[in-house]
Amino acid sequence: MAEIVRKKKNITRYFVIFIIIVITIIYLMPFLYIIYTSFRPWTDILEYPPKIVFKPSIGSYIRIFTSRTVYPPGEKLTEEEMANLSWYERIVYNETNEEVIRIGDLPRRYLNSIIIGVASTAITIILGTICAYGFSRFKVRGKDDLLFFILSTRMLPPVVVVIPVFLMFRFLGLTDTHIGLIILYTAFNVSFAVWVLKGFIDEIPIEYEEAAMVDGYTRFQAFRMIVIPQAATGIAATAVFCFIFAWNEYAFAFLLSRKIAQTVPAWLPYQMGVLGYDWGAAAAGTILFLLPALIFTIILRKHLVRGITFGAIRK
Amino acid sequence: MKKVSLWLVILVITVSMVAVFSLNGCKKEAAPAEEEAAPAEEAAAGEQFITIHWAQWAPADYLEKLSKGFTTETGIKVTVEQTPWETFVQKYNTEMIAHSDAWDIIVGDSQDIGNMAVNGHYVDLTDWIIEHGVDKTFTPASLTYFAEYPKGAGKYYAVPCEGDGLAWAYRKDLFGDPDNMAAFESEYGYELGVPTSWDMLKDVAEFFHDPDNGFYGVAIYGDNGYDSLAMFAEQCIWSFGGELGDYSTYEVDGLLNSEGAIAGIEYYYDLFKFVPPGFGGAFYLETNDAFVSGIVPMSCNYLAFFPGLANEETNPYAADTGYFACPPQKGPDGVERQFAALGGQGASVVTYSKKQDLAFKWLEWFVKPETQLEWARLGGYTCNAEVLASDEFLSFTPYNPTFKKTMEIFKDWWACPEYDELLRTFSEDIANYVVAGNGTAEEALNKCVEDWEEIFGAAGYYD
Amino acid sequence: MFKRSKDNKIERNQISYHSMRDTSLIRLFILPTIILLVVINVFPLFWSLILSFSNYSAKMLTQWGENPEMIGGVNYSRILADPDMWNKFITTAKYVLLSVGGEMILGFGLALLIQLKFKGREFITTLLILPMTMSPVIVGLMWRLFYNPNWGMFNYLLGLGRIDWISDPSRNLYSIVIVDIWMWTPFVMLLSIAGLSAIPQYLYEAAEIDRASWWSKFRRITLPIVYPILLVALIFRTMEAFKIFDLPMGITGRGAMAPPLIAMHLYNISFVTWKTSYGSAIGYIILIVIIAITSIFIKYLNKAKQ
Repeated sequence: MAEIVRKKKNITRYFVIFIIIVITIIYLMPFLYIIYTSFRPWTDILEYPPKIVFKPSIGSYIRIFTSRTVYPPGEKLTEEEMANLSWYERIVYNETNEEVIRIGDLPRRYLNSIIIGVASTAITIILGTICAYGFSRFKVRGKDDLLFFILSTRMLPPVVVVIPVFLMFRFLGLTDTHIGLIILYTAFNVSFAVWVLKGFIDEIPIEYEEAAMVDGYTRFQAFRMIVIPQAATGIAATAVFCFIFAWNEYAFAFLLSRKIAQTVPAWLPYQMGVLGYDWGAAAAGTILFLLPALIFTIILRKHLVRGITFGAIRK
Repeated sequence: MKKVSLWLVILVITVSMVAVFSLNGCKKEAAPAEEEAAPAEEAAAGEQFITIHWAQWAPADYLEKLSKGFTTETGIKVTVEQTPWETFVQKYNTEMIAHSDAWDIIVGDSQDIGNMAVNGHYVDLTDWIIEHGVDKTFTPASLTYFAEYPKGAGKYYAVPCEGDGLAWAYRKDLFGDPDNMAAFESEYGYELGVPTSWDMLKDVAEFFHDPDNGFYGVAIYGDNGYDSLAMFAEQCIWSFGGELGDYSTYEVDGLLNSEGAIAGIEYYYDLFKFVPPGFGGAFYLETNDAFVSGIVPMSCNYLAFFPGLANEETNPYAADTGYFACPPQKGPDGVERQFAALGGQGASVVTYSKKQDLAFKWLEWFVKPETQLEWARLGGYTCNAEVLASDEFLSFTPYNPTFKKTMEIFKDWWACPEYDELLRTFSEDIANYVVAGNGTAEEALNKCVEDWEEIFGAAGYYD
Repeated sequence: MFKRSKDNKIERNQISYHSMRDTSLIRLFILPTIILLVVINVFPLFWSLILSFSNYSAKMLTQWGENPEMIGGVNYSRILADPDMWNKFITTAKYVLLSVGGEMILGFGLALLIQLKFKGREFITTLLILPMTMSPVIVGLMWRLFYNPNWGMFNYLLGLGRIDWISDPSRNLYSIVIVDIWMWTPFVMLLSIAGLSAIPQYLYEAAEIDRASWWSKFRRITLPIVYPILLVALIFRTMEAFKIFDLPMGITGRGAMAPPLIAMHLYNISFVTWKTSYGSAIGYIILIVIIAITSIFIKYLNKAKQ
């Protein structure tokens, strides 16, 4: 009897694992498709039914990095002119008959994303940590009210404030500046950061600080030397979240930036090519853009999982 | 507890008051928002430069390439800043209200010129245009639609930059195939060829439409996010004898829902049966994609997107691709008309620019016949009458003769500041019938008349 | 501003050394955050309220008395009288119901499956949470390529014909729902796993002795313990799904053939046709609806926690 039950259990076990693997593969299909599309040569992308075996090309990656114009019809380059082209220009010429006129906007947009992501994360963490510490360690009048207020700003749907924020930014000249987006993302992240970090700091025994302060540390020193190292894991997890939010944010970036401070998500969906839309370049850009989030997720998966569940449950 | 909430309320009120008052003050002083005018590398010591704002597409690249000539001539650098079509109009409206000097020249949509002129964002170019003879060297139609506001008032705010309009590409090999020709003739009783009327165009689409084998009759616009569907609909309306309304009195009832307009929209509905799947969202890219992937025998698009079709690397059928302008059509009243919807943009000088002198210098250079010829050679669509008429121009590309024809028959949408609302309501009403198949053409147009009268009424045109 | 109350000096949990400096420290520690939140969140909220009672258009020059002019509740009454607006709210509700419903069922089911301990479990969980950490608009863009009826892989892999998932108004709402479910099912799954792991094993063992069926174990033990956490997931997903904007922007764009979702409509009204105050009024109605829905859920949550 027990034998049969165990066998039955084993069969179900393998069956379940099999199902999970199948689901995972189905789950990854869109990613695989994008990788596949990004390496297909220009003429192949529009083919249907899609070819599984094809000659990969990095043309799409070159196109996302360059700004090009198509040669006037009938204009063919001579052998000599061809020889003068650099390798990437030759690929572009052969694939779409275009001339590279300058480096494209991607590096700049990418840099913007990084600057805004890093700066807003750093400010969020600084503000969030000290604020969480304040709430955790001091008796503050109306503490619950204030904490609820902080939390409620997180619940506030951006669509409600988007119009006044737009008007305010336009008036202050913050449209299309790095500072504007940094302030905005910080404000949207800081409430989350305060709540999560307060949880982490609450877990640190207060006695450590008391001892340090008896030894002559000032409050601030105690905070810096005792609390921050203890809460480092929590701070790291929160930072990853804030960075991912800023990295991914679209609606405000789309509305409030144009060129100078534009981030990748606001720019990437609009790739023009010879025929109109450049699908290959969009796919290549998507891969390049998703890469950092992908790496972060894989390296920091434990923190992430903890952060997601912890952040949600605390609220 | 109470103290804290009180404190919050006080803070909120102070901040709001400060902001509201300062907003008020700002508008009176018209203080320009501080903007980083151009990327650092271009702002190098003492170097002169201007920035032109245009949508993100191939012609903007041509303009950048063209302007290198200006730089070698004068030493003034030219940057063409490109914004995706999706947000192009929104972004420059945003900046203009803030009186931004980020751009010296805007190559703005023809339909937006009223808004920009009325609000004073564009410099009045009337004197300049007469002084430089632009009114004589450029085609009159292009000046009316790209530069003039209000229409017929003789005041100009732009120089026609990119002339553009809807035209057709077709597959010569399919049209010339003996089997197809025989089958078509036996079915419809006349010879297969380049459509000579909208009715014939529909017959051809019906003839080729074969969804079971993955082949479709025609690729036309269906998306109504901005102006694609509206542009195709308006040329149907005009061709069948309808009108969008009276551009000077803003009367629409009896014009927009006239017999001819209804016939035009019904025609659009009928033709839309022969499009490939997914064309409810089709704009320039879908029509080009469909043509290039060889699933349609003909497609309608803005001429600005034809270079990709003539390019053998991107269109495997490039050698077999022919082009034709929108055909004429006899309306229900028996009169034959020929119209095409206008696209394209005029270049205007921004009121808030600090480098207007340089901008004018560039315009002066741009309207020269030699520059216009080079502009046409690179792929831009010139509106210079002389260049258009030259044999040289006609031989540059296979579609230039079509462009010339289109320039003679094009007509534009409303140009009043409310054009965007008109576009939105029109697109919604028409798409509801043509794409979604609800109701009838008459109902759709009547609804649209109602919507428009409300918009015009609110704007005070009937007072 | 924060005066120390008289009764706290003996409290063990609070530090009482250096009390004078602490008072100013409190301000230094807490105020920056509060000010930032007030400026970016609270103040716009008030401004938006004022705007919603006027007829301001951000495209036109500001002239007080004309633009904006206070017109009272006209915007609100126009919105409520507009059948189109109702249609938009109903579509949004449908979207929320379908996507959140799908995520809850699939996410919880997946959690039950993945509870099984096996090699590579963590790896698979990591793969599954990938979509969640990605920009919705880019995910939307990716799916737009995937869905393309003429050459995308979606129809091909499912063996469907050239079905239009993007611009057919009878179908494209569901295509966004599919992507939303694809993205956020793992979120529900993660929360469910956290909830499931909190169930003490002895409860199951006790039930085993009673020879309870799988279903009754599930209903009597699993569900009651996981219920609060599922509610939390539900609240989060409902709020997010209600204001969905990025995902449809990536998949369908904002054309009129795109599903009439409320946030998209708000964008079109406010920044394409520039009816700024009308948009503000819509924003306020959205806010009220969201608050109403959340407070109902929170009521249930509080009940469940007791």
